[in-house]
Amino acid sequence: MQKQDLIEKNPIRNLKGESDAKESSRMGLVMARAGLGKTALLVQIALDSLLNDKQVVHVSVGQSLDKTKLWYDDMFKDLAEGCKLNNAGEIHDSIMHNRMIITFNESKFSLAKLEERLHDLVQQNVIKPSCMVVDGFDFAQTGRAVLEGMRELAKTMDLQIWFSAVCDEGAGSQAGVPAPCNGMEDLFNTVVLLQPVPESDCIDLKIIKGSAAVSKCGKLLKLDPRTFMIRADCK
Amino acid sequence: MRDITKVRNIGISAHIDSGKTTLTERILFYTQRIHAIHEVRGKDGVGAKMDSMELERERGITICSAATYCDWKDHAINIIDTPGHVDFTIEVERALRVLDGAVLILCSVGGVQSQSITVNRQMTRYRVPRVAFINKCDRTGANPDRVIKQLREKLGLNAVPIQVPMGLEGEMQGLIDLVRMKAVYFDGENGDKIREEEIPAQYQEECDIKREEMLDAVSMFSDELMEAVLEGTPTEEMIMAAIRKGTLALEFTPVMMGTAYKNKGVQLLLDAVVSYLPCPTDVENFALDLDHEEAEVKVSNISSDPLLALAFKLEDGRYGQLTYVRTYQGTLKKGDSIVNVRTGKKAKVGRLVRMHSDDMEEIDEAGAGDIVALFGIDCASGDTFTSGGDYNFSMTSMHVPAPVISLSITPIDNKAQDNMSKALNRFTKEDPTFKTYVDAETMETIISGMGELHLDVYVERMKREYKAEVTVGAPQVAYRETITQRADFNYTHKKQTGGSGQFGRVAGFIEPLEEGEYEFVDQIVGGSVPREYIPSCDKGFQKCLDKGALVGAHVTGVRCAINDGASHAVDSSDIAFQLAAMGGFKEAYMKAKPVIMEPIMKVAVEGPTEFQGSIMGSLNQRRGMIIGTNEEDAYTVIEAEVPLSEMFGYSTDLRSLTQGKAEFTMEFATYRQVPKSVAEELIAKALKNKK
Repeated sequence: MQKQDLIEKNPIRNLKGESDAKESSRMGLVMARAGLGKTALLVQIALDSLLNDKQVVHVSVGQSLDKTKLWYDDMFKDLAEGCKLNNAGEIHDSIMHNRMIITFNESKFSLAKLEERLHDLVQQNVIKPSCMVVDGFDFAQTGRAVLEGMRELAKTMDLQIWFSAVCDEGAGSQAGVPAPCNGMEDLFNTVVLLQPVPESDCIDLKIIKGSAAVSKCGKLLKLDPRTFMIRADCK
Repeated sequence: MRDITKVRNIGISAHIDSGKTTLTERILFYTQRIHAIHEVRGKDGVGAKMDSMELERERGITICSAATYCDWKDHAINIIDTPGHVDFTIEVERALRVLDGAVLILCSVGGVQSQSITVNRQMTRYRVPRVAFINKCDRTGANPDRVIKQLREKLGLNAVPIQVPMGLEGEMQGLIDLVRMKAVYFDGENGDKIREEEIPAQYQEECDIKREEMLDAVSMFSDELMEAVLEGTPTEEMIMAAIRKGTLALEFTPVMMGTAYKNKGVQLLLDAVVSYLPCPTDVENFALDLDHEEAEVKVSNISSDPLLALAFKLEDGRYGQLTYVRTYQGTLKKGDSIVNVRTGKKAKVGRLVRMHSDDMEEIDEAGAGDIVALFGIDCASGDTFTSGGDYNFSMTSMHVPAPVISLSITPIDNKAQDNMSKALNRFTKEDPTFKTYVDAETMETIISGMGELHLDVYVERMKREYKAEVTVGAPQVAYRETITQRADFNYTHKKQTGGSGQFGRVAGFIEPLEEGEYEFVDQIVGGSVPREYIPSCDKGFQKCLDKGALVGAHVTGVRCAINDGASHAVDSSDIAFQLAAMGGFKEAYMKAKPVIMEPIMKVAVEGPTEFQGSIMGSLNQRRGMIIGTNEEDAYTVIEAEVPLSEMFGYSTDLRSLTQGKAEFTMEFATYRQVPKSVAEELIAKALKNKK
């Protein structure tokens, strides 16, 4: 299989907006309780951009560089093996040049710092991202103003930004966006909640806001709980 | 036999110039291992610093020998030398393996420097509990509070002082112990007379606040202490137990201070080593079960179990070859026979000694957790000894990374030649990642290892320790070749004109092998190649692996299979089939689309944030792939993967780019295919060299 097929087959496309033209300056949010695959989903979103030869900045709060890199390597390997990609190694090396991971300690993260860093990177011609994923952002501790700032950043830098957020167990039973992100949904174009399906072996992507993530056969997207890959085959 | 809970195996780690040698010297003095104090600084005192190696030689003792033993208050302390550079991955790994705890020395002025960060990171990786000692509090500009802040922020340690200095810089009089709430003075010419008194009034308030903070931090580790603190009745024992618990869990770092040079605080540090650092049974150590794919098995630490000991250092001393071993389990007894797991050879324990700073003590046995030295045992460092039988465990992985860089060395005269071979013989025994051979074509001696610095240090040691002056060639990167697709061959080797003839035909294919270097597959059916000549084919293929046809690099990742052939009743021979296989390999090799692979290093550059852009630029220039950055206050760590061939001279470049404010470390990561443009260059160069 060729790289092009991989891009087209990637079901994540449906989540990121209807077409590439609308992709930029959007904000998305992935919510779930711990351990359901938020990071995995973010990495898949980033990989999709990378495969399209776009540049990605991965901001990781509280996780080490090595760990984050490992996520990419693993997810790419799964993806490549899943569709028997030719010359996987070569593609891996070429796309990872377009990725930049920035890690922060939990206490050190601030919007101003991130903004400064991004501007530096663009100015120094190191990277010009069109997609940024932010993993480990603490919604409970940060106010709305920071997210509004992010929204502004997305606009000025022509970026698509995806966040992950941890919500409490049992969230999603009621309508609306669960805490701690309730009241912020107007800032996001898409909000996804990952939910394990009782008595089944997969995790649902429940779209709380935004265009429904419908795969080609018209069913909801699911995550495979073993690999956290989005499932292409809908049963 | 010694009580294992009263043994401490510790390392002392420090940034250059923070006083490691002086402190070690004081420790040996107070534990009565040496009887006079000699200064590191010369008599003129203008800063004629001697590094520890020279100091050692001058005094004829080994202060920093691989392991020095001393006693302190009924406890045995083994001080193990810890190398500072990350280039010697194996050596660092080995030193960290044998320690149970460590003392982190910091300069009260310099604070946490980048090497401390690296060493700290490694210690965290190997889960080594540590206590911190802020040295040189007598220096102008001493500021222990700032250093503690750095310990927290730069190293991420939960560092809490358990002492308060009485005065700083020139006025330092002594220390206040916050656990016992006593002022401690160090009297006498050498500070060996300890006087305890009530806390002077002017420090009382500060001490109360600091003690409160300390109790807050340590009561996290003990419910008993927490309750006692609330009731206002914490006892000394409770506090010490809680500090110990937190330290062992690597969640708390007690900070002590003092000045070794002015003889203040060293005894209290020794007390802390005994009280807070782990004994061998407090830490978990793992052995690898060689019968079950190197699965990890916890060692028991029981002296009556089968023996498991690791040789971690060899030393060529005045007394012949000494092998330092740490026993993890079982007992090492004089006269016992032990088995080297790597070679399978049996050896008899002749002399067993405990090393003191300037002499040694003969002992009869060493129990689990102890560190001793053996005489006359032939082994390499990193070897595991067991009591034999089917007890097949190893303390270190048998996998040794292949060297990635090589240099040619030429001795300047005959005497140097002799010394050089002596030195090389030793170094290869000491360090499995250091290899040496003679190039068959140029007749030059080649040394190879894990990095530029790695080899530099050995060349330097050759000069210093063995007086072998050598001239060094330009470093060469160890490229490799591998194939990317399957290719068939059918080759006939025939030489039947006059004399005894040669005949052999082999047919088969070569294909990429995912894991491993080389595999030979015999698919011959019906005896088209006679049985006895099949090993000849294998041999022939292997001969081809040494030098690939592209750039003459070692070929790896190839599976060679033969499935057909022919022989001649008279003219076929071993050599004929070897040559046929070699011909077949050559025929197929270029068809199999060979590529060149180069070693890729994982490089981490630490520097002030304002230089981030230029550092990234310099890495990009060197074909580096930047993985990411990690923000730490004013410092940024940039990690990247860069081909080794591009890293020569990087330290000079980096220094000039960042006004000397950035440092970098690198270690081998993987082999990766070189880009086309570089490959063409390499091939052209190889062609030129052939002509």
